[in-house]
Amino acid sequence: MALAKKYYPRNSGLTPRITGLIRSGFGPGAGRGFIMAGVAIVVVISAMSIFAPYISPHDPTQISVGPANSPPSSAFPLGTDQYGRDLLSRTIWGGRFILLVAVTAVVICLAVGVPIGLASAYRGGNVDRSVSLVMDSMYAFPSLVLAIVIIGVFGVNIVNEAIALAVVYVPSYYRVVRSQVLTIKELPYVEAARSIGGKSGHILLKYVLPNVLPSIVVVATINFADSILTTAGLDFIGLGLPVNLPDWGIDLTYGRAALAQGAWWVILFSGLMILLSALGFGLISEGLSERRGQE
Amino acid sequence: MTLRTYIATRIALTLPMLLFLLTLVFFVMRILPGNPVLLRFEKNADPQLIAAYTHRLGLDIPLWQQYWNYLVGILHGDLGQSMVTFEPVSEQIFSRFPATLELTFYSFIIAVVVGIILGSWAARRPYSKVDGGIKLYGILVYAFPVFFLGMLFQLVFGIWLGLLPVGGRTDVGMVPQGLTLGAFHLQTGLYTLDALLGGNLTQFVVALKYLLLPSLTLGLVISGIFVRITRSNMLETFKMEFVTAARARGLKESTVVYGYVLRNALLPVITIMGLEFALLLSGAVLTETEFNILGLGTYLVDRITFRDYTAVQGTVVFLAVLISAISLIVDVLYAYLDPRIRL
Repeated sequence: MALAKKYYPRNSGLTPRITGLIRSGFGPGAGRGFIMAGVAIVVVISAMSIFAPYISPHDPTQISVGPANSPPSSAFPLGTDQYGRDLLSRTIWGGRFILLVAVTAVVICLAVGVPIGLASAYRGGNVDRSVSLVMDSMYAFPSLVLAIVIIGVFGVNIVNEAIALAVVYVPSYYRVVRSQVLTIKELPYVEAARSIGGKSGHILLKYVLPNVLPSIVVVATINFADSILTTAGLDFIGLGLPVNLPDWGIDLTYGRAALAQGAWWVILFSGLMILLSALGFGLISEGLSERRGQE
Repeated sequence: MTLRTYIATRIALTLPMLLFLLTLVFFVMRILPGNPVLLRFEKNADPQLIAAYTHRLGLDIPLWQQYWNYLVGILHGDLGQSMVTFEPVSEQIFSRFPATLELTFYSFIIAVVVGIILGSWAARRPYSKVDGGIKLYGILVYAFPVFFLGMLFQLVFGIWLGLLPVGGRTDVGMVPQGLTLGAFHLQTGLYTLDALLGGNLTQFVVALKYLLLPSLTLGLVISGIFVRITRSNMLETFKMEFVTAARARGLKESTVVYGYVLRNALLPVITIMGLEFALLLSGAVLTETEFNILGLGTYLVDRITFRDYTAVQGTVVFLAVLISAISLIVDVLYAYLDPRIRL
């Protein structure tokens, strides 16, 4: 047993693959700078969002903590908005919901897109053809327009937003997983597993999935960036998060009104935070794919 | 496979996609709670009035029949009437579409130019500092919320410097009327084109000034992906034997890069870029909202809040047809220019 583990570590299940993936992601090699920078940004922003109640100086929804529309000052380092709310506190709190929506969307996508991609490609035939047709038609359609229609129809709330994002992005996962499985399922070790009587589910889980995993990670990280940007976009056209929440997208949207009077600080910090979050995930994804390209 | 069967197959493949999207939007919008009739009336409105209104919108017949009627209508190019204004949806879409087309066209040009320049520059020195910097630019613009970039441009060029208008399509009274030759009248709704057709240079310049910030915003955000496509395609082309042969003959590196590699990489690059049209449309919705452009994106956002089923369906159908048509044209063009695809 120990011998088998020593000599066949590649396909011996998911857990060593995941730890191996983490180790190979941070180790020296191509794209390390991008990965490190991205992880640093993501960690800082996540920590800020999680610990917001402990580090924010004011209640982000409390109106008139200061004068309305005042520029950055020592009392309010990032200024205040049109209701006199403290923008530093709002910036610290503002990631909680948008990131939560993105995380939920990515989890749903992983739970739905990956199994469908695995099964569809492995089965092949007419099932695969019909599923691909549906997925491709969704993939070809403008993601934001699809999300707008879904939310417009189902109604505006956090759950629907996460569902809409998941529907829009499941095809990306499906396509990547499917194309990988189509190659992997023809490889000798899969054929060997089948020839000794391995069941489909077993082969998919133990032999195919571990080798698709690196691609899934790349898709999921860039999908985080996409989800954050789409959520902000939905906020912007009034189909996003509820207006009363402290949220970067909401601040960016409602800060437009003050922009004409030259109050740049309302949009600047909320916009930069959205940009930074998407950038963090974008950097990780870029680094990882660069690393994979050099393997 | 001949070119003709190739085109026929491609068209046959896009039809199911259209039908799928259409059916989905049709049923989901009708099955879910909230409808345009109830949005229009108070809670205790006269039931007879509601019934009459429902009848006028054709919502009182069985769902399957509504669906059938709608499909038959589409085959005749009829997208139905708006459930709020009662105007024909196709007319509204065609009055809104030119603004979107103009915006996406100029944005596409900007993205292609930036993409090819930066992409080929990066491909000349892969894994160098320049390449890294250009890669960083690509990730940065990709991560930019398009409307945030638009706001920054508005703030700097519109509000602080006062150089460019921050919204709309042209000045009051400057809408170009297009070309009139006796009884013949041609007006495209594309302001820059109409101004040129009418021979009015001032109108052209004004329209261009209004277009500059929105197209720059959308174009730059999309350019990141175009840089990446150009770079990777050129790197692939560099591995080809004819490049080695060109170098072996002692040609200057710049001749090799721009005369051989870029020329051969350009065709697939532009084809792939054409397929990114859906991305351009998503960005256009936000850019139109940010710059108050009355295009298809703002139309969709506006109609969906009224639960104007027919208008939303019409827009989705129109966009799906548009995307299918573009991917078809791009594909066919590629097959026509590169006979290997048809094999």
